[in-house]
Amino acid sequence: MSQPFFTVKDLVVDYGGVRAIGGVQLELQKGEIRGLIGPNGAGKSTFIDAVTGRRIPTAGQVTLGGEDITRLPVVARRMRGLSRSFQRTSIFAEMPVLEQVFLASHQAQARDPEADALAILDELDLAQYVDWRAGELGYGQQRRLDLALALVGSPSVLLLDEPMAGLTVTESRELADHLTRLARERAVTVLLVEHDMEIVFGISDAVTVLELGRLLAEGTPDQVRANPKVREAYLGSAA
Amino acid sequence: MVHFKYLLWLAAGVLLPQLLGSATLMSLLTQAVIYALFALGVGILLRQCGLVSFGHAAFFGGAGYLVALLMRDLELAAGGAILLTLLALALVGFLLGLVVSRIPGIAFGMLTLAIGQTVYLSALKSRGLLGGADGLNIHWPAGIFGLDVKLFYDPASMFVISWVVMLVVIYLLDRLFRTRFGSITCAIRDNEERARFIGLHVTLPKATVYAISAVVSGLAGILSAIYTGFISPETLHWSVSGMALIMTILGGVRALWGPILGAIFYFFVKEYVGELTDYWMAMLGAVVIVIVVFAPNGISGLIEPLLSRKQELSRKQELSRKKELSRKQKPRQSVIVNRVEVRS
Repeated sequence: MSQPFFTVKDLVVDYGGVRAIGGVQLELQKGEIRGLIGPNGAGKSTFIDAVTGRRIPTAGQVTLGGEDITRLPVVARRMRGLSRSFQRTSIFAEMPVLEQVFLASHQAQARDPEADALAILDELDLAQYVDWRAGELGYGQQRRLDLALALVGSPSVLLLDEPMAGLTVTESRELADHLTRLARERAVTVLLVEHDMEIVFGISDAVTVLELGRLLAEGTPDQVRANPKVREAYLGSAA
Repeated sequence: MVHFKYLLWLAAGVLLPQLLGSATLMSLLTQAVIYALFALGVGILLRQCGLVSFGHAAFFGGAGYLVALLMRDLELAAGGAILLTLLALALVGFLLGLVVSRIPGIAFGMLTLAIGQTVYLSALKSRGLLGGADGLNIHWPAGIFGLDVKLFYDPASMFVISWVVMLVVIYLLDRLFRTRFGSITCAIRDNEERARFIGLHVTLPKATVYAISAVVSGLAGILSAIYTGFISPETLHWSVSGMALIMTILGGVRALWGPILGAIFYFFVKEYVGELTDYWMAMLGAVVIVIVVFAPNGISGLIEPLLSRKQELSRKQELSRKKELSRKQKPRQSVIVNRVEVRS
């Protein structure tokens, strides 16, 4: 096994007196897709927030390509290839679609930002909306735009917080296919928080399960699915 | 094409005094244009950063005071004093912007109000240096930037001067906000958190816009000080900032020229409705409420879609061309597969 590309060690996040994340570990290889699942309130979004710099962790360490990025500001993390999408759609409502994806691509130092932006919009079926203001798009299209902002500029690590929410079954499958291609062809490391178990177990190399801010289980999709603790706490009959 | 549009507006401004002839009307229009420039200063902060300032009178009135002091106490030439003042406003605006633009929403408005009122009260209490409540008479030299000072006192010629300055400012701002800097500030305004997550530094662009806004407001203040030959603490009062804000809301900020339209509307209501009733402010307030509720993008928001339809069409054609070009350069891979292998 080679050295992990993206690691999280003993991550702790406290909200006042409440421990939201209690010493979670995670090691991801380059090009790996890791599913992160757990019931509501398990701390999945808090985990992503702490890892991406949106929230300062109480303790722990995050490394990317061997570099400690725990105390780096959000912009510096993005410059190093760490990109994310949000649970609630986060776009630039007043800006035209192409302009904002171009800007994101340019900031991520893509070689040809315009071609990069157009290609990603094309892949996410947003090419016909390039001149629309983002606020004029439908919800599903806005979700895809949110993803486009995260995907441009060839990120090395992609953290996606419920990216399938609001998408149709076909759109979800297309996105899953796209993520698989990113991981396999461009060696992008993906951490996927998602409630669609079919997608998570279908495309992940490994799955991590959180419960009440702690690691409940970790392993291949088959191992996790067969884990009685996971079945009891979360999956039930879903798996 | 863009330059031609500005030349047309320039010609219209030069011809207007000849066509109107009335000195009263020209005086009204001159004041309207000067305050339009001030409203533009307040408006760009709202347009590019979504920030509502209640303290920009500090830049408007402060610029007049600073020019007067530089000429009186340092015996600088008028042109040098004006340029130095604008430079100082840019610096102060930038440094202040670095601090205040980090504060979101209503807190930003309250902070700018506090700063503005501090400047106002300081000027009011400073009898020795700034003349206290009496203000300062400004002794302008015979020429400013090579122009006879009498041109600045005459409403018709001052209108043309102010109009030209305003057009130059709009032209420069228009060019600036069409660059990537404009896109960056719009992105930050729309969604600051997302802006950070696509790798944008958010404080510097906001501070830069704040500085530009301060300089434009100060420029308007200098024109006002030249036109009246007088500066008083009243020009620093928060109500002057509020007036510029009302002009901005009336005109709207989606178009750069929105606040200018708002200022002209404001002065005409003040002049003509003010002649009919003392309660013209109440009537203007009602108009502001109607605008905010039914036309949140202001008067310019109602007009702009009609003007920009042609522009929009040519932009769409250009985008289609780029898309086509991109497809030819990089043939689309078979990226969509409507099947996911779900492991059983």
